[in-house]
Order: sequence, then structure tokens, then C-alpha cells
Amino acid sequence: MKRSKISLAIAAGATMLAAAATQPAFAGETKTKPILGIPSSAVADFGGVDGIHNWVESLFYYIMLDNRINYIFKEFGNADRQIALNTQLETMVLGGPNNYQGASMSAAHADLGITMTQFNAVVEAAYNACERNDIPYYSCNDLIAALAPFTRVIVTK
Amino acid sequence: MKRVRVNGLRIFQCAAILVAGLASSSAWAGWYNNGKVLLTGGVFTVDGAGGGGAVPWATISGYETRDGINGSAGFTYVNLPALQVSFYGVNVGFYDRLELSYVDSRLSLNLPNLQTVALVLDAVDLGDSVGTDVWNSTLPMQTYGVKLRLFGDAVYTSDSWIPQVSIGGLYKVNGNKELVKTLGADKTKDYEIYLAATKILFPLSTLVNVTARYTSANEDGLTGFGYCHNNGLGTGDCKNKRKVRAEVSIAHLVAKNTAIGGEWQQHGNNTGGQSININGLNLTTITNVLSNLGLDLGDSLKQKNEGDWYDLFMAYAPNKHISFTVAYLMFGNISVAPDQNGFYFSTHLTF
Ligand code: HEM
Repeated sequence: MKRSKISLAIAAGATMLAAAATQPAFAGETKTKPILGIPSSAVADFGGVDGIHNWVESLFYYIMLDNRINYIFKEFGNADRQIALNTQLETMVLGGPNNYQGASMSAAHADLGITMTQFNAVVEAAYNACERNDIPYYSCNDLIAALAPFTRVIVTK
Repeated sequence: MKRVRVNGLRIFQCAAILVAGLASSSAWAGWYNNGKVLLTGGVFTVDGAGGGGAVPWATISGYETRDGINGSAGFTYVNLPALQVSFYGVNVGFYDRLELSYVDSRLSLNLPNLQTVALVLDAVDLGDSVGTDVWNSTLPMQTYGVKLRLFGDAVYTSDSWIPQVSIGGLYKVNGNKELVKTLGADKTKDYEIYLAATKILFPLSTLVNVTARYTSANEDGLTGFGYCHNNGLGTGDCKNKRKVRAEVSIAHLVAKNTAIGGEWQQHGNNTGGQSININGLNLTTITNVLSNLGLDLGDSLKQKNEGDWYDLFMAYAPNKHISFTVAYLMFGNISVAPDQNGFYFSTHLTF
């Protein structure tokens, strides 16, 4: 009984892994292509993946303090999931490994009717998070450059 | 003269009251927007348009995004050895698409050589007979501007070389016809058209702007447009030939609220080599009078070749409501005054 459950789990895990391997497109987002590139030191400049994770936590902290946008995240968001997924996404766009497991930016934001003003509010939170984490302004701009192309699909209003 | 001045000021006051009124009325609430990221709308140029100090950018002034309207007011003071200029103005940005602007400027000349002429003309009692107030040395000007964003996004299209591109028009009305003619210009009123392209390169933390301006202005129009060669009769060969001139601004962001940079603005040379022209009076007579008095002005009444404008600036925006710009200006020769380098101070208030 117990044994079959475990083997079932292993089998299920294996098929999922196989599916993930043959269908990496499920990780619905690809690296952006800023015209001037992103320096190879970008992930390290943020303090590695842990540093990026800390930055994302600060980002959500500042987002939740901003009355122009926090209600959207309270109503439609899930902070823990978004912090985990954003860490993966930001690591990828800064040139780290692509472990992103979330939805595409267009799918995730399509129904939210996000305005340019709200997008800019998140950018302001991003700069605040950089300052709070002692990430240099220039490194912060690498991340802004890497995320900026998503504006096209995230801002729908 | 006096009337023009009062008019200009009144228009400015009306505009300021209008903007202030709009900002405080409740109907404004739905349109009001200040969602742009700090400094990305540019600061207040001497032409009233959003941009650097002298060069209009493709960005729309104010902190509004495409979601609303924002207005701003600016004051700029320029101090050069031979002249001082103050600029007061307002502009309004609509939906990050259209910008309207108005500036009232006042340039005061303090040129010793002109004053010598004035002194002599007064002394020999020619002052009245030339029909010109020889002591009159203020050049007021009003500039009306409109700018339309054509395409592109200066800020967020980091994966494409396409910049934000805008077209703009300026209509400048110089209020001191006599002095503009004295300085050898053809017209006191004229329009200028410009095309500007702006792009922020985030990995370099740098904004680059290139502008092409179709104009015949002398010193930005502050000393008129075109030229009238002085033939001593007050008629002569007058031309207002507009040309395309280049302008460049580069602003490097050292922090999210601080930019340093430089600008270059190509100028024409409409009046270089010409003598100043006091109401058609042939100045050789005056120079002769002066040499009889033992004062040899030589070539000092001859206007120097107009120099291109260069500046180095620092802009600081502690928040979205106010920014300060200081600059060092290298304006070259202005009229009969050589090597005009000096300082620029500007405040930009955003609602
Ligand atoms: C470049 C900027 C942005 C990035 C990189 C980003 C990234 C993400 C990611 C990775 C997710 C998770 C997707 C998933 O659950 O599979 C997400 C979801 C979400 N984002 Fe964003 N986002 C950005 C801008 C914004 C803005 C401007 C807003 C609103 C003002 C916003 C609101 C949300 C919300 C509410 C969700 C949850 C949607 C849901 O679970 O249905 N995001 N975003």
C-alpha cells in the first residue's frame, strides 16, 4: 500500500519532470533583450539569487505601502507565490538560470487593467527596494532595463 | 513698450491662475495625474517646452502619464557678463501626448560700448533726433509653444533603438522692435519648428536627446530673427532665412533624483560682422564724433560672430513637485559682447 503510493508519486513526479523537459514553454516567460545588454555581473551585483529574493521581498513591502496599487495586489495577488515567482523571473532576466515556473507576463496581468501610472508606481517601489537593500542605482537600472520590455503586455489600459 | 510688458505679465498671470485653479478644483481630480517616474519628463527649457536647459526634448513636460493631465511652472535666471535674462513660464502636458507652453522672458543688456554711444548721443543731443531711446536696453519676449508626441516611448522600450519622437512649434514675439533693429535683426516675431528624439539608455543610466530646429533666430530669438544689413539708411538688405540647426542634450542620472549633463545648440550667424544699427543712422558718424572726443571705439560697435550655445548642468528633483537646475553656460559672443560665459539657475514647479 505504502510502497505503491510512493512509486505512484515517483512515477507522477517523473512524468511531470519529463513534461517539463519536453515542454519548457510552460515556464511562460523568456529573457528580454535590452539593446545594450545586461552586464554579466548583474546577478552578483544584486547579491546573487538570495540578494534578488531579498530585493523582491522589499519590493512587495513598498508595493503594499502604496495606496495607488496595494489594493490590486490585496484583491488579486498572492504575496508568497509572487515573491517566489518574481525571484525566479528577475534572476532569469538578469542573466541567471531560467527556472521561472509562473505564467507569462501577458497571461498574468491580462485581466488586471493595469495603467501606466500603476506600472510606474511599481517602478518607484523597485527603486525604493534597491535603496533599502543597498543595491547601487546603476545596478538597479540594469534590472529596470531588463524588465521594461514587459510594459507592452502588462500595461493594458 | 510698457504696454507690451504689462500684457505679457498679465497673460502669464492669467495662465498661472488658470493652472492653479484647475489644480485645486474638484473637477480636476479625475484628470489629474503625476504618475511619471522622477525626472523623466525633463525640466523647464528657456522656450517653455519640457527638455533640458535650452534644448527641447521629445518628452512631454509634467509628470502625467497617458492617463491624465499635469501642469508646471518654471522660473529661470541667466547671468552673463553683458546681460541678464529671466524667464517665467507655464506648461501643461495632456496624456503624455500634447504639451502647451508659454514663457515671458526679459533680457537686459548692459553693454558698455552701447552705453558709450548712448552717452555721446545724449551729450551731442542726437538722442532725440534719432528717434530712439538710446538708453532702452531691455528685450522682452513671449514664447508660445506646442509639442506633439508622434511615436515611441523614451523610457520603457529598452529592447529597441526606436526613440520617442515629437514635433514642436514655437511662436516668439519680441517686444522691443527698436532694439531688435538696432542689433541688426530683420524680424521681431517669428516661428520655429523642431523635431526631437529622446531615449533613456538604462544600462548606461543616460538620457540622450537630439533635436533639429528650423529657425532664423538670433540668440534664441531674444535678439530677433534674421538680419538687416546696415546701409546707413535704415532700409538695406533684410533677410529672414530659416535653416535647420542641430541641438544635443545628454543627461546622465547619478541617482534617481539627480542628473548631470551637457548641451549643445547650434546657432546661426545672422548679424556677425555688422555694426549695430541705430535707427538707420550711419554709425561711422558716431564713431567719428567719438574719435573727435578722443574715444576710439574702433570695431567695438561691430557685432561679433554669434557663437553656438554650450552648457553643463546639474538637475536635482527632491520630489515630484519641485526641481532645481544649475548650469554653467558657454554662449560665445552675443551681439557686440565677446565670450559670454555665466550661470543659469532654474526652478521647475510641478503640480
Ligand atoms: C515589470 C513589472 C512586473 C513584473 C515583472 C511582474 C511579475 C509578475 C509575476 C512573476 C507574477 C506571477 C505570475 C503567476 O502567478 O504565474 C505576477 C502576478 C501579478 N502581478 Fe505582476 N508584474 C509586474 C507588474 C505588475 C503591476 C504594475 C501590477 C499592478 C499594479 C501587477 C500586479 C500583479 C498581480 C495582481 C498579480 C497576480 C495575478 C494573479 O495571480 O492572478 N504586476 N506579476
